[in-house]
Amino acid sequence: MVVSPVHYIAVPLMAAFLIPLFAKISKELVRIVPGLVIGYLSVVSVILMTQVVNTGQPIVEVIAGWNPPWGINLVFSAFTGFLATLMTFMAFLIWIYSYRFKKVDDAVAQKYFILFMMLVTGSIGIVLTGDIFNLFVFMEITAIAAYSLTAFYRDRDGAEAGFKYLLIGSFASALMLLAIVLLYTQVGTLNMAEIALRMHTVPQAMKITIFTLFAVGLGIEAEMFPLNGWAPDAYSQSPGPIGVTFAALVVKAGVYSLIRVIFTLFDIHGAYEFLIIMGIITMVIAEISALKQTDLKRMLAYSSIGQMGFVLIAFGIGTNEAVFGALFLMFNHAVIKGLLFMSGSYLVYNTPSKEIKDMAGIGKKLPMVSLFFALGALAIVGLPPFSGFWSKLYILMAAADASFYYLMGTILIVSIIEIVYYFRVMGRLYFGKPQNDVVLQKPTFGGILSMSVLAVVIIAVGFHPDLVSGFIQSAADTLLDKAGYIHSILPNADLTNL
Amino acid sequence: MKKLLVILLLAVVAYSLGTALMSVKFGENRLGNVQDEGTVSAFYLNNTPEKLSVANVVTAIVVNYRGFDTLGEVSVLFLAAMGLGSILYHRHKEGEEEEAILKPSSQLIQAGSKLIFPAILVLGAYVFIHGHLTPGGGFQGGAIIATGFLLMMMAYKDYKVSHKVLTWVESIAGVTFAGIGMWGLIVSQSFLENTLPIGALNNLFSGGIIPIIYIAVGFKVAAELTGVLDTLLNIKDKH
Amino acid sequence: MDLDNNLLMSIGVYGSAIGLILIGLYAVLIKKHLTKIVIGLSIIDAGIHLLFIAIGYISGGTAPIFSPAGEKIVANGGIMVDPVPQALVLTAIVIGFAVTAVALSLVIRLYRHHHTARIDQIKSLKW
Repeated sequence: MVVSPVHYIAVPLMAAFLIPLFAKISKELVRIVPGLVIGYLSVVSVILMTQVVNTGQPIVEVIAGWNPPWGINLVFSAFTGFLATLMTFMAFLIWIYSYRFKKVDDAVAQKYFILFMMLVTGSIGIVLTGDIFNLFVFMEITAIAAYSLTAFYRDRDGAEAGFKYLLIGSFASALMLLAIVLLYTQVGTLNMAEIALRMHTVPQAMKITIFTLFAVGLGIEAEMFPLNGWAPDAYSQSPGPIGVTFAALVVKAGVYSLIRVIFTLFDIHGAYEFLIIMGIITMVIAEISALKQTDLKRMLAYSSIGQMGFVLIAFGIGTNEAVFGALFLMFNHAVIKGLLFMSGSYLVYNTPSKEIKDMAGIGKKLPMVSLFFALGALAIVGLPPFSGFWSKLYILMAAADASFYYLMGTILIVSIIEIVYYFRVMGRLYFGKPQNDVVLQKPTFGGILSMSVLAVVIIAVGFHPDLVSGFIQSAADTLLDKAGYIHSILPNADLTNL
Repeated sequence: MKKLLVILLLAVVAYSLGTALMSVKFGENRLGNVQDEGTVSAFYLNNTPEKLSVANVVTAIVVNYRGFDTLGEVSVLFLAAMGLGSILYHRHKEGEEEEAILKPSSQLIQAGSKLIFPAILVLGAYVFIHGHLTPGGGFQGGAIIATGFLLMMMAYKDYKVSHKVLTWVESIAGVTFAGIGMWGLIVSQSFLENTLPIGALNNLFSGGIIPIIYIAVGFKVAAELTGVLDTLLNIKDKH
Repeated sequence: MDLDNNLLMSIGVYGSAIGLILIGLYAVLIKKHLTKIVIGLSIIDAGIHLLFIAIGYISGGTAPIFSPAGEKIVANGGIMVDPVPQALVLTAIVIGFAVTAVALSLVIRLYRHHHTARIDQIKSLKW
């Protein structure tokens, strides 16, 4: 059977429906089946990515036999395919990490793994779809899985964090639905390529209203300021692996939808400046808040929001180099933040109060975990020779080329703030007297394996950025090529009005 | 102070929505000439009777043209049931006295609901089996059936629905839907393609896979809604 | 005369949809009891769904079903209303139901934990 993008959605769904039946056969199957599914999807990613790179054409899959714009289509291009591959591999590593995670015992493992698999499927669906209402449906799949997983543990304030996330997330979906309603009245279609084609017929006032609704709705998912109030609580209260999933998959999907709406659907000229301004505000406020945090996971969450602000700035600059830098940063953020959250979870697990000041000296007792955390911290502030250095460099160069000197200054100042709070944690870990009465929770074999893979990737990409830069460059080219996107979906379209 | 800010926000929302909707006149025909197929709705209205032999165009859109959305929606329901189970999971500690929330209802309701319940089930089944011919379909029929179960649960304090049966029905119906989709992918070129003969318009056996999918959806929705209601109504609280 | 009628109907239908959205927003932002907030979310959804169906209506159109009666109407030159918003609203209603179910279960969990369902008394996390 030929592999095609629909496998990303159909296979996990079938598996999810079958797991309750499998659970009656053997409890172990419940943990293994999601791993098999995500492993299979990783293989599919590799096959499809090589096909796209070799032929230079995106793979457009038609669902139910009705060509776009009458039916729904999935688009696996250099850009969306790159994101989908990144998400699939991170999901596989997270599965390895959470296979025997201490706090997920057999009774609830079934629900945990099904929800986790659907969270992954929803995020990948957001990235691959070519239809705006389908985007909304996949956003809801991701959201409901996320709400349930945030409230998973009983002994924390998960329910409160989950409820707050639910309130704000429901606002986001309501606004998105309103935007789709108004957009449908203007263009009469729901296919993204055709909307892009007909956007020039929409009157300016309506365009601005619809764009505002989209920007606020999707900004909530992409953790743009001031709509990211839900994020620190969700990241800190959810189980460790789920925090990793949020940082590596869900927020990427949110940023992707925002970028797709701005770059492909709309042709408003002020949109890029809007991105830069919102990105700066997000980054500055988030990094300053991170400085004030005493809870490790909340600090990491604010740092994550700051990085997303940085990504938005880079997309806002809009040149080819800037978009290349933004995509490289998204890749790095997924890998490095993944490692930070994974190791951070074990650090927090061993500290009853979860406060940084109580983590004195754990560096000596959990050497591997602390080493991974230190590696992640050094990488994310952008020190060479780790991968984080390259993405910051490319974005700074792009800002210089576009003469945004004040941006360069802001980014450098923010980097200094990052160095301060990360080094503060590392100092705590390595220097200081450990408390001897704490029972150590050592990481599982799966945990060490996944963290090592991520560490190897960080070091390898740091020394040889050409390992991934080829893929990222084609992804950047594909994103900026609006006419190419429309042409691959609607071959007979008239492209003169773009 | 907060109330004032909120009222201001509401006024802004009302004004912007109102002005946006001023340009969208109520009842305006945006489809143009249906034969021209300028918009997707015109295409659907023009082609459904011949290409799919389905009388209810909304059903054709939900199950066939935009069947992928329906697959996503069915999984959203499944996720909600899973999420509910995981959030409300309660390890029963020994020695805790727990009391059910529901109280028994009057004799009139108990006698009446026993009579109405089969009728509601038949109505629900009729709605989802004839989804492609008359208004209605899987979701509507499933909701009607779940209402019937809700009536029985409210009338009788000890009415139990077997969770094992519900799980089996949910899983099998879900696998049917996804399986028909995969079969379309294997046998023909695309996922969820209509692979069975389409028959004649307004016949019960028309539309290819559309009635089959909608029946599966009807069962799944009924099972899931009943499961959700059962979980919520059987919460026991300490007193 | 026809124009006045149309304007009145527009204001009536759109006004009620926007009114529902406003009532729901008010409940979510002002009310303190968690269940009322969840009901507010439901009302916002109801308003949006009503709006969606309202824009699909075409004056003088009949239901988009090709039953024998429907086919006769089309053969006589009648038109049908827009079927796409109806299909989309079907999906949106189910999704709204799922979110409400999850929200209510979270309310139950919060009540069990804190023994109160008022938002101003559940404030362990910074709002």
